[in-house]
Amino acid sequence: MSHAIAPVNQKRPVNMRKLVQRTVMYIVVVGITFIILTPIFFLVSLSFLSTREAYEFPLPLLPDFTTQFKLEQGKKGYLLSVYDDQSGDYETVLDTDDTNKMSVYMRSFLNTIMSEKEIQARIADFESKIQNAEIGPDGAIYFTHRRDLLQNYRVFFQVTRDAVPALIRSLQVAALTIVISLSIGGLAGYAFARYVFVGRDGLKFGVLFVRMFPAVAIALPMITILANIGLYDQPLGLSLVYAVGSIGLTVWITASIFLGIPVSLEEAAMVFGATKFQAFMRITFPLALPGLAAAAMYSFLGAWNETVSAIMLTQFHPTFAVVVYQTLLGSTGQVNLAAAAGMAMALPAVIFTFFIRRYINQMWGGITV
Amino acid sequence: MVNARKRNFWKSMTPYLMIAPVIIYYALFWLRPVLVLVFDSFTAAGGGFTFQNFALVFQDPSFWPAVRNTTIIVVFSVTLEFIVAMLLAFLINAKFPGSSAFLFIAMIPMALPAMAVAAMWQTGLTAHGWLNSLLYYLGFLEQGQKIYYLTGSDVKNLILIILVDAWTVIPSVMIILLAGLQNFPEEAKEAGYLFGGNVWTVTRRITLPMLKPTIQTAVILRLIAAIQIWLIIVMLFGFNRLPALVERVVYYTDQVPGLTYSYQLAASYTILVSVVVTIAALAFLQVSGAFKRDAGEIR
Repeated sequence: MSHAIAPVNQKRPVNMRKLVQRTVMYIVVVGITFIILTPIFFLVSLSFLSTREAYEFPLPLLPDFTTQFKLEQGKKGYLLSVYDDQSGDYETVLDTDDTNKMSVYMRSFLNTIMSEKEIQARIADFESKIQNAEIGPDGAIYFTHRRDLLQNYRVFFQVTRDAVPALIRSLQVAALTIVISLSIGGLAGYAFARYVFVGRDGLKFGVLFVRMFPAVAIALPMITILANIGLYDQPLGLSLVYAVGSIGLTVWITASIFLGIPVSLEEAAMVFGATKFQAFMRITFPLALPGLAAAAMYSFLGAWNETVSAIMLTQFHPTFAVVVYQTLLGSTGQVNLAAAAGMAMALPAVIFTFFIRRYINQMWGGITV
Repeated sequence: MVNARKRNFWKSMTPYLMIAPVIIYYALFWLRPVLVLVFDSFTAAGGGFTFQNFALVFQDPSFWPAVRNTTIIVVFSVTLEFIVAMLLAFLINAKFPGSSAFLFIAMIPMALPAMAVAAMWQTGLTAHGWLNSLLYYLGFLEQGQKIYYLTGSDVKNLILIILVDAWTVIPSVMIILLAGLQNFPEEAKEAGYLFGGNVWTVTRRITLPMLKPTIQTAVILRLIAAIQIWLIIVMLFGFNRLPALVERVVYYTDQVPGLTYSYQLAASYTILVSVVVTIAALAFLQVSGAFKRDAGEIR
């Protein structure tokens, strides 16, 4: 952990070198952070933009929290204008006396939920000001209305058929994958860590090999195999496929975790009268918990993120990743909805990583930068 | 006496019993599908043994472009990612305030689902996207000027794919290497300097060899992932524009599943991908000596 202590007589040059090193390091750290965060920032920001904003160029950096309107007399009815940040002026969007049309436009293009009643109240205000000659020299009234920031997400889940059930299915698939791979893989991982036996290296290599095998090569023939046992298009069927990959990883991770826990601890417990099983449950298992959590997390992420097998092995019951895939593949427009879909996909994965990040660090060997 | 031998027998069987579930699982859900796949790839659409499917693959006009694109992506992305991640890890290798926050940020691209990464760059790389907007705000683009990222030659598009992949992967490879460096016994390096080594020799002769297991893991996993890149290609360019091996498999199963030879073509492409991945994995394991390394592991 501690760094090399510089010899006393070289104090000055070492300090200079350290200063340069530190500066370079900070420049690199800031640079990387910027490069990582910029695309993420824009994805987040874009997912909150209204459709009108999302089609402006350059894109606004942040969504507006309110929409500013201008209402005046038009040719066909009332002229509705919206303040535009880019041009710094009001831009006319509608010329109509149909308040329903106005409301729909506000909702779908401006993410501003304003009922017909509220719009009618504004129009009445406008009319009365004209009657009483209270209106300004430009013959218009101005008002602002709160923006509904989560509108894109709501629209995505409403418009996209099957988005909510697909989300639930994805969680089911991930949970099943974790259960299968932890129970089967964890047991084998323990055996690899604690026993010497003939064929051990061969088996360990085999596990690694299966893990590396391409997912498509299992998913494609599994279409017919799962169909024969009635598990095609089912969460369980998909998790059976995902577990093939995650068992390998679980064996690998748990083996290294159990290796790191000295056998002598278990032996000590057994000297004090515990059985082998008790010694494992009371001593080794709690110590291995972080590693098991890391393995579970990897299984979760693998199942949640996977697309190829899910595309091939589902039809009417897609996972959430497939739903997002179809949304993005089809959409040439509606970039803000695409961003919202991507965010909905990213959020559980990032949250999961956040909660379990200490364990990942531990898995890679107690990294404490 | 007999009892003891019996106990001994069961004791020696314990590890096999613990590993048996994995073996059974793999037999059912790995070996069986793989055998079915091999069988199917040599079976004609109407039944019967045939080499026709592979002949069809080689005649597929996008076969050679797919091979070429996949090769380019693999070679350049793995090399680039590894070198850059290594350099960054060496530059950062120190504790500093806020380092745990930085580590978490660096983990995000790895944690992001491929679909989210695709959404990010799909919205970013269109002419009206956020990347051009950013360049405009930073003053690199004039009013009304735009860069068209997604048009043009295959080379340009491949570079784009490699860069997007690098964005996703480099931070996490960097973390892995950083972890290796952090666990590094400082004494080993000091000894190197003591015996007259300079930074370069110490790095080359001590640091890198000791990091070898970490590097191995990172490169194996990256190599195999890179061979199977397809989603980001399809999300940015659609099917058929920039064919890649796995992209072809998905194309024939998901996009044109109804054709007479769709399944056969997909199966044959998948066999090719599997062979390439297998060769890559075996070659790498051989070179890195992973076959021999295991024996002395238990103490």
